[in-house]
Amino acid sequence: MVEANKEMKEGISAWAKFYRKGTGYLAFAFHRLSGLVILFYLYLHYTVLSNLLRGQATYNAIVKSITYGPYDSFLALDFLLALVIFYHGANGVRLALNEFGIGMYHHKALFFTFEIIAMILLGLFDYYALQFVGVGF
Amino acid sequence: MTDEYEFEIKRKDESGKVYYSTYKVPKDKISTVLEGLLYIKENIDQSLSFRYSCRMEICGSCGMEIDGKPRMACSTIVEDLKKDRIRIEPLKHYKVIRDLVVDIDPFFEKYREVKPYIIRDDDGKYDKELPQTPEQFHEYANFAMCIKCGLCMAACPIEGSDPQYLGPAPLAAAWRYIADNRDKGAKYRVEVVDGEEGTSRCHFAGECTEVCPKGVDPSFAIQKLRRTALKIELASIFGGR
Ligand code: HEM
Ligand code: SF4
Ligand code: FES
Repeated sequence: MVEANKEMKEGISAWAKFYRKGTGYLAFAFHRLSGLVILFYLYLHYTVLSNLLRGQATYNAIVKSITYGPYDSFLALDFLLALVIFYHGANGVRLALNEFGIGMYHHKALFFTFEIIAMILLGLFDYYALQFVGVGF
Repeated sequence: MTDEYEFEIKRKDESGKVYYSTYKVPKDKISTVLEGLLYIKENIDQSLSFRYSCRMEICGSCGMEIDGKPRMACSTIVEDLKKDRIRIEPLKHYKVIRDLVVDIDPFFEKYREVKPYIIRDDDGKYDKELPQTPEQFHEYANFAMCIKCGLCMAACPIEGSDPQYLGPAPLAAAWRYIADNRDKGAKYRVEVVDGEEGTSRCHFAGECTEVCPKGVDPSFAIQKLRRTALKIELASIFGGR
């Protein structure tokens, strides 16, 4: 094992310094950010669900407060969450393919193709989600 | 537009003090960044330190951060940067010895880790030449172009957060030998490169490939290594070749 050169270290946030400009770097940095956002949501989700332990009435009151008010504006964040998940999923599939050596010669084109498909699916998802909550077009 | 460039250079003196020096370099006297640095050293400030040798992008010694990106000073044409004020800093992820000179030993140590030489299973006791077709040559030729300048190590975001990571050029070198039909050392190299500090650290940001002056594609090599390692691991579990 090579002895680490401590002075080489830029710090744990090296990956988040946006002086790098390639497509691959941006894809990677946003993948990590989106992964962390989804992870944060997962625990938030568990926290909300764990209110079930405090009884049906408490849980229903919480769910009602975020769907009908006074905290219903949180629902708008769901669209952001969907965006992040669709981005992460599409890029994740691309990365998995590339790591098996598939599509390596066209990894940038593959990134854009997957993301465009994901954004179209996201549009459909958002449309049906809005229909579901009763916002007509 | 003026008729002078301003070279803004990050420096470090023997006491460890870091500061910037700015020099005016006449545009009609130079074309590359290295020529600009030499002009400064000859005419303005003899204490400015930087490393160079071949002046033709083959020795790999003049790597530095030029205008925010790792580049070779000798092959970077100042005019192409489309700026009059050029900021020059030592390569990131290396220890600075003085001014623009960095300690590249840790990079070479990592390079050695991957056994960058042909490994045979016949102890070198072969009585015929080892033939290689042009197609077999082109399997690895691109990766053999590496001049060990270490720009890729400075560009890699993972190198920045985990200095133990083997890094792009050493991994590309591992692939260069594995892809060589005369080599039989894949299983030994996979032991080195398939570890936690090897290919699994790569997140495919591809900055190494972006900055490489010789068109080596380390990020491609790393994905190829992953596949090779997987094949060897699977074969060791399920038997077969
Ligand atoms: C559609 C499903 C998903 C796919 C295809 C996927 C794919 C991937 C892949 C391939 C990576 C490795 C990226 C790399 O090497 O840089 C990754 C990283 C990650 N994923 Fe996902 N993922 C999915 C869903 C999720 C979910 C639901 C979460 C959170 C609960 C999540 C959180 C993360 C985190 C935190 C990372 C680490 C990021 C990093 O180290 O850069 N992912 N994902
Ligand atoms: S792979 Fe390219 S950037 Fe990296 S050391 Fe070799 S020549 Fe330099
Ligand atoms: S001086 Fe040799 S590569 Fe630049």
